[in-house]
Amino acid sequence: MQIDGVEIEDTFAEAFAMVAARAIITADSADWATTAAREATGYATSVIACDAEAGVERELAPDETPDGRPGASVLFFGFSRDKLEKAVANRIGQCVMTCATTACYNGVDQLDKPIKIGGSLRYFGDGFQTSKLLEQPLADSRQPSAVGNQPSTTPKEVVVQAARLRLPLTTLQAGRLHYANDQQSSRRRFWRVPVMDGEFLCEDKFGTVKGVAGGNFLILASTPRAALAAAERAVAAIRQSVRDVILPFPGGVVRSGSKVGSRYKKLRASTNDGYCPTLRGVTATSLPEGVAAVYEIVIDGLSLAAVEAATRVGVRAACLPGVVRISAGNYGGNLGPHHIRLHDVLK
Amino acid sequence: MITLTWKSNTTVPVEAECITPENLAGKSAAEVGRLAVQHGNRPESLGEFFSVAGDASDSEITIEGEMQRVKWVGAGMTRGRITVRGSIGMHLGSEMTGGIIDVHGQAGDWVGAEMRGGLIHVRGNAGHQVGAAYRGSRRGMRGGTILIDGAAGNEIGSTMRRGLVAIGGACGDFAGVSMIAGSVLLFGKTGVRTGAGMKRGTIALFPAADRDVETALLPTFRFDCEYEPVFMRLVLRQLRGLGFSPADRVATTTFRRYSGDLVALGKGELLIAARLG
Repeated sequence: MQIDGVEIEDTFAEAFAMVAARAIITADSADWATTAAREATGYATSVIACDAEAGVERELAPDETPDGRPGASVLFFGFSRDKLEKAVANRIGQCVMTCATTACYNGVDQLDKPIKIGGSLRYFGDGFQTSKLLEQPLADSRQPSAVGNQPSTTPKEVVVQAARLRLPLTTLQAGRLHYANDQQSSRRRFWRVPVMDGEFLCEDKFGTVKGVAGGNFLILASTPRAALAAAERAVAAIRQSVRDVILPFPGGVVRSGSKVGSRYKKLRASTNDGYCPTLRGVTATSLPEGVAAVYEIVIDGLSLAAVEAATRVGVRAACLPGVVRISAGNYGGNLGPHHIRLHDVLK
Repeated sequence: MITLTWKSNTTVPVEAECITPENLAGKSAAEVGRLAVQHGNRPESLGEFFSVAGDASDSEITIEGEMQRVKWVGAGMTRGRITVRGSIGMHLGSEMTGGIIDVHGQAGDWVGAEMRGGLIHVRGNAGHQVGAAYRGSRRGMRGGTILIDGAAGNEIGSTMRRGLVAIGGACGDFAGVSMIAGSVLLFGKTGVRTGAGMKRGTIALFPAADRDVETALLPTFRFDCEYEPVFMRLVLRQLRGLGFSPADRVATTTFRRYSGDLVALGKGELLIAARLG
């Protein structure tokens, strides 16, 4: 397969299941919300050596956030729910609660397997913390004014209405009737922790989903400059048009692609020597003739479909002059349950 | 949907706690008409006072008429919807745990007294003790939402433990008296001794531009600061989403915070919205 003269190798990316959470961070200004989001997702490129993988999904307009202030959406990925809970609580506590004017909310509807975030951070209030329990009115399938249940309502309209009314999306999709006093999803607790500029507001529990981490593709180019230009274009395209994914590495681009294991016992991963141009002459290289640089785009998403969509958008955007081949990283198909075949997603 | 139309002119109270969606579901109109109500000191049938049409298999009830003497409608209900077109008597939605009651008229005293969940929205005025505890009870409202678009009487949210009460018009004395927790939002003129004896919880006042409510506060509330509580944005958004029009008038996010009542636990707060103009 070729796209714009660039060879698409018939291979696949090998991705893994990880537990994921989304936090909505708001602040008085977009600058402070973005600052908090970046701080909270720092040092979170790979679980090889970080407590979680994290990144900024996108910035949010005031009408997209629970409190009507500017915000940012961030995603966190961990190997287990316990580890994710610890990592997210630490990061929100140290990087969001400390940041001027911020508040933090759960961004995942499913609350059947939640992690406790505000419920842990509240103790910083030293007994002065308080909480508010808000009960969400649920749509009534028999109400003429109910949203999401008219046959003419499109899925997109349901999403828009859900965001406008701050209702759980799943509730709208189900078109449920009741105020549902017995449903956890209809009740949201928010902790108010006194801090020196007023209060830090943080939702008690955050929902989690089984996400997909480690989606990737490799950009092999004739010069480092061409490889970087293609990588930057791919990152911009993914961030602009694909939801539910993050690119956890610096600027969304990885230069130190790794292989499993090392000649040093203490290392779980080491440089992917087959793709290092400086080692072409001394190792079993994977580089075709004329390739002088490789960059990798790593994708974590809330679903396999989201990761595949990001791969599709990114690869197409990366097919620029100077790019020789697009490939993908895998472990022979023996480790990860998700195999994202480049030829399949680009059909 | 089942429709109950008031056809009596009695001045004696009618206690009709049988009118709940779960109680009427699955019954024919004739069966509903035979349900027992208490008329003064005599048992009567519901059909003596209401004409009945339709069925309640969809858990929806509409009640029509001026029924100031009809008490306990929706008491203890757990699901469904009751729509009242007209006025209704005391104890509406008392101890309900779920469902929605929508009143397009006036309501009597004890609206949502000791309710646990659900939503009551009265488009007109309500009486005293909205969401309150019954005499001798240790706790009032324990969950749910009560919205009164018009005025209400004394002791709003008395001893409430959880939930949200919003009064769009004026209210009487002792709003939020002995509150244990929860939220009471007052958008109109308030009476005296607001928040007396409250332990925890929030009472938010949204005074008109020409009213100074702070000089009338109890001396056992202590000024903390002027700030912008983010949670109030969530609460106001929720009220707007529920169609509570007084919340649309609020244009400020700044509040003056008082802690109290210091004769009780003192962990409560009075939030007074910055006046406009």
